[in-house]
Amino acid sequence: MLGILRRILDEAEKIIKKTPILKNFFPVFEATDDFFFATKKTTRFAPHFLDGIDIKRFMSFVIIALIPATIAGVYFFGLRVLLVIAISYAAGGLVEVAFSVGRKKPLYEGFLVTGLIFPLILPPTIPLWMVALGASFGVFFGKEVFGGTGRNIFNPALVGRVFLSLAFPEYFATMWQKPFWGGLGGFVKFMPDSITGATPLINFKSTQDVATWPCLLMGNLPGSIGETFRIGIIIGGVLLLLVKIAEWRISLTYIASAFIVSFIGHIFLPESFAPPLFQILSGGLLFGAFFMATDPVSGPLTHQGRWIYGILLGVLTILIRTFTGFVEGVMFAILLMNACAPLIDTIIINIKFKDIPQVEEA
Amino acid sequence: MRLSKIFYTRGFRTFSKGFFKENTVCCQLLGLCSALAVSNKVENALAMGLGVVFVLIASSFLVSLLRNFIPSQYRIITFMIIISTLVIVVDQFLKAYFPLISKQLGPYVALIITNCILMGRHEAFAAKNPVSYSILDAIGNSLSYTYSLLLIASIREVLAFGTFFNIQVMPANFSPWIVMAMAPGAFFLLALYIWLFRITAKLQPEKEM
Repeated sequence: MLGILRRILDEAEKIIKKTPILKNFFPVFEATDDFFFATKKTTRFAPHFLDGIDIKRFMSFVIIALIPATIAGVYFFGLRVLLVIAISYAAGGLVEVAFSVGRKKPLYEGFLVTGLIFPLILPPTIPLWMVALGASFGVFFGKEVFGGTGRNIFNPALVGRVFLSLAFPEYFATMWQKPFWGGLGGFVKFMPDSITGATPLINFKSTQDVATWPCLLMGNLPGSIGETFRIGIIIGGVLLLLVKIAEWRISLTYIASAFIVSFIGHIFLPESFAPPLFQILSGGLLFGAFFMATDPVSGPLTHQGRWIYGILLGVLTILIRTFTGFVEGVMFAILLMNACAPLIDTIIINIKFKDIPQVEEA
Repeated sequence: MRLSKIFYTRGFRTFSKGFFKENTVCCQLLGLCSALAVSNKVENALAMGLGVVFVLIASSFLVSLLRNFIPSQYRIITFMIIISTLVIVVDQFLKAYFPLISKQLGPYVALIITNCILMGRHEAFAAKNPVSYSILDAIGNSLSYTYSLLLIASIREVLAFGTFFNIQVMPANFSPWIVMAMAPGAFFLLALYIWLFRITAKLQPEKEM
């Protein structure tokens, strides 16, 4: 089976390289080829890579870790979720292909993860054209203008989400839906009936109601598509931490500092600070801590920097949740810290290598 | 044949270079502050643009006329006095005849004084060139500022309010993009325009001036 596929791809490569018009689309072909077959390159000089893990395998692990949250999203919010995901991939992928053809560079798979994370952090009632707009905006302004995969300062999925939530605040404030619960749930329905409910965080802001933690863990409460089923997120997140694709320093310090700040705050100001366990299990904090803050490109690269990054993320998230008009602070906290990550790295490196004399430039 | 000769005169080149290759907002990146702030509606952009047109033409005329009498060490302050006098005229005129627009523009009319386009053109052109060319240069540059503002405003107003020049153009169930009424929307649009202008400027072959 694979042999036949290989032969087809080889034939296609020959044809594409010969015809001048098709030559422009060579990046598209290359990506299809690489998707099925790992790169054939072998390292000929030291250092040798023993492990064949490259960006692509990296991405596929994140996708696997996201599967539980995605399936839960479909179960809770109906088959429309699949449509949302498909549109996100199509719109973002189009921008990506346009840039890689225009720049004559190979198509990177960075969008595989962004295109799945982006729909998971959207509210379930989001109109489909908004999904397309947000995905293409996120890829364009969050990634491509900085030079494409691996050069982005901000997390593209979050850029798209912030743009949408600033442009159409009504969809992010009132249009939350109560998920399906029991039986086959959303697997047999297209979308939930128009019963709107408030997310646990909105409830706390208005009435100081605190949802119980089993409810929050199971996720049968309103929220973004992929962030409600917390058990699945934790399983996926722990998998990522175990295979060392996500950075445990960031995830753990993020959760721990959010816990400590809300613990202290809850003692002094119980009306405005929600209790610590509720803070961690509500909103997108777990999802953000495992899948978005740990983005290796937009986060810091030094170990010490990652500790600082995680701690500041937790503090910022709780402060934004408590003292601003926004109910959810994860998104803004991560984007703000994305912007600070290079600065943290620079400071850490300067401190570490202070004693080494600088090489004079010739 | 004779008509086409006009395109190669110095006067026409002075007049036209501000429009595209040296577009004040999108290529020289001057006057960005006001371009971001007042481009939320077409009427605001037009009022602001016309204000700048008037001030730049009149002050260029005066500066160019007085260029041999202004001592060079005091030239900046002289420019400032001329500009601020004219800006106050515009401000009072708007307050008297268009109080609504004047209110929407807020402090930005008075801030024309600090607009880099004015100082830049005086320093770079009007202080060294005869009156006729200075006026042509002023017309070209101020009109290019106005039309850049209109380019930004026409997209922002349609997306943010569903209107164009206060006339409803979008269907009734159109959901407005609130981000476009705020400063971030203007930043994104301006960035796109700068990109477009730079790409098209790169495609054109360099001409000998």
